[in-house]
Amino acid sequence: MGRVRRLRARPLGRREALAGFLFVSPWLIALVVFHVYPIVAATYLSLSDYNIFNPPEFQGFDNYVKLWNDPTVWKAAGNSLFYALLSVPIGLAAALVLALLLNRPVRGIGIHRTLFYMPAVVPPVAGTIVFLLLLEPRAGPLNTAIETVGIDGPAWFQDPAFAKWGLIILSLWGVGAATLIFLAGLQEIPESLLEAASIDGAGAWRRFTNVTLPLLTPVILFNLVIGVIYSFQVFDAAMIVGGTSGVPGGSTLMYMVHIYRTAFGYFDMGYASAQAMVLFLVIVAVTGAIFGSTRRWVYEGV
Amino acid sequence: MVVSRRRFLQLMGMSGAAVLLGSCGGEEEVAQTTAAAGTSATTAAPTTAAPTEIDFWLPGGSDPFCQGFELVADAFAAEGSGINVREVLCGVADDEDFNERLLANLAAGTPPDAVIIWDPPVVFASLGALEPIDGLMAASTNSKLENWPEGVLASCRWDGQIFGLPATASSYAIFYNEELLESKGIPSGRDDFPKTWDDLKALSAEFVQWDGDTLISAGMIPPYDAVESWIWSSTNGGTLYDPENRQVRLDSDENIEMLDFGLQWLNEQYKGDWVALDASGNYLGAGYVDELGRPPGFQSGHHLAVVNGFWLAADMYGSEFTGWERWNVAKFPVGPSGSSTASGFWPNWCAIPRGSANPEAAFAWLDYLVVDGMSTWFGQVPDIPTNRLAPTDLFPQSVADQRGDEFATDITQFFKAQLDDAAPMWTCPVQSYMHDQLYTAISSVMLKEATPKEALTLAQEATQAELDSVLAG
Repeated sequence: MGRVRRLRARPLGRREALAGFLFVSPWLIALVVFHVYPIVAATYLSLSDYNIFNPPEFQGFDNYVKLWNDPTVWKAAGNSLFYALLSVPIGLAAALVLALLLNRPVRGIGIHRTLFYMPAVVPPVAGTIVFLLLLEPRAGPLNTAIETVGIDGPAWFQDPAFAKWGLIILSLWGVGAATLIFLAGLQEIPESLLEAASIDGAGAWRRFTNVTLPLLTPVILFNLVIGVIYSFQVFDAAMIVGGTSGVPGGSTLMYMVHIYRTAFGYFDMGYASAQAMVLFLVIVAVTGAIFGSTRRWVYEGV
Repeated sequence: MVVSRRRFLQLMGMSGAAVLLGSCGGEEEVAQTTAAAGTSATTAAPTTAAPTEIDFWLPGGSDPFCQGFELVADAFAAEGSGINVREVLCGVADDEDFNERLLANLAAGTPPDAVIIWDPPVVFASLGALEPIDGLMAASTNSKLENWPEGVLASCRWDGQIFGLPATASSYAIFYNEELLESKGIPSGRDDFPKTWDDLKALSAEFVQWDGDTLISAGMIPPYDAVESWIWSSTNGGTLYDPENRQVRLDSDENIEMLDFGLQWLNEQYKGDWVALDASGNYLGAGYVDELGRPPGFQSGHHLAVVNGFWLAADMYGSEFTGWERWNVAKFPVGPSGSSTASGFWPNWCAIPRGSANPEAAFAWLDYLVVDGMSTWFGQVPDIPTNRLAPTDLFPQSVADQRGDEFATDITQFFKAQLDDAAPMWTCPVQSYMHDQLYTAISSVMLKEATPKEALTLAQEATQAELDSVLAG
């Protein structure tokens, strides 16, 4: 066995480490205070009977049992799942198409890019109200346009069968952020690869499917994960459209809205915490599953 | 002095941490500063007793509504009460919820001294969040027990004690278009308005018109609102909640009959198609522009009658009020199983949170507000004063401007009298939960997803379980 030399931190190294910790301390403190503590507290509260006014009383898994048997939770979860399953892929596809268009070297492209991104910075409440007007069943611009081809547009936010679709259309309003990320990804793709594919006889579609799309998969992964997380947490739009009752007929009652009304309408913080923990675990599981699948579809080459 | 790069970075790091820690301790610093200022003020004027300072919070409202409380607070201080309303917090930021802020302060032990709440006091009282005020009421100038309509005060009773004052309570009535009635030769007087549900439904039928799948004119829409269901249930001899026995009564025979009646009405006059009715125009906004920006059918002159509270009278003459002039209000008709009319109400409840630093001063302020402050309150935003000592000569100026003082006074007195017919409501400790369940039941019936009995049974079971859980806790 060779000589073991115990490594000792040099005084200079310790000072550097201290400086480093001091630099990151605002972030570390914020992480502990605003993320770690709430997660730990919510975990404890989810196992308690807690109405804010009185101290929490530990009661084991009662809140989770109640949640399992609560039909309203299942309805809200179903609504959120429907929304997530459709709004995420539709949003990704729309963002990708927009990014491809905005990646073309046309005149005034900077203005176009700005215009398409602008809705992402409009307050969600304002955006939602605009969409409520756009989707008005009798005189709204969308249904008026549909009518020109002889089809009666649906009563978007009056008919439970279409209300979630209205919210999904509304979600496209904020597609500019994902578009911008796709655009950055597109601009990272080496031109030489596309040229080589052209020389080999690949047409535009083959270049897109065999070169562009594979090289964009890391960006798609990022947008997918962010999209899934946001879609499960949709709140503002659902609240404005359906209130805490999910008008019409409970069809827009999203899981986050149900958590909110349980906490601040019914003052049942323990039960709301249990619902929030379940949402957290579902998002972790879905995100984990997405990451687990990356070996099969995310291309990290070049 | 030469500062090395490493030293500079260390200093920057330390400064960042210091700023963060400093900002965390900001409130304490402010409190200390305030305390110091208070001390020096006391020192500077030792001969004058410092007024007791209280904080007063309310959920929000229009600018005139909020300003009204500052005016009343100034008048209260000017009368030598020795109490200064230091802060009138009227509403919170857009990204915050009033209950959220109030609950956080209650939990932290720093509640305001007095509040106006829009959730019934029984809800907060059952959770132990409010101070009982029976003793203060008994010793008060204005707020003695006999000065409040019992049906309205019931919303403040919990466990034999009183936890709030229903400062104002706009009652409900049926607003109807006199000119539409006269256009069909139907008498339009208040006393001529239908006295039974069947007569009301028959009258409604006279005014319902469809153009294909579009409703172009409506009589009256069958009952669909959870809050108003208290009234309809009461006129049918029922109730939604029995406070004495702490039993939810959503699936009583009277309530099933109520939903059955509404469903029949929908089928007979509105093609059984709730979606088409709602999509055709603003018939559910009950006199207000709806979330789609559609003008209300009532003010537009193609909707005979709507149910709403006194506040609609004051808000009636918006830009959408076109083409006609004369409206009136009527009492609620009686259902097949009922024996008398009833009304409902929606109060602004005053209360004192548990842990209030100055409960006596807070009550003195509220006692002043509910009577002496009413003229100012009403002048800013008309609302029916509940206390029997409050001024009785108030009327909404916007109505007087259009219809004259006599009509404005008449309808105000009508709504005031409606409080005496008020069905006890807002008495359930799980009010929001019950209303959400009831909304679900009503909409599933109107959308033909469940029968009235099925829907109300589900709502009953869920609400009773929630109530039992809260009571057990």
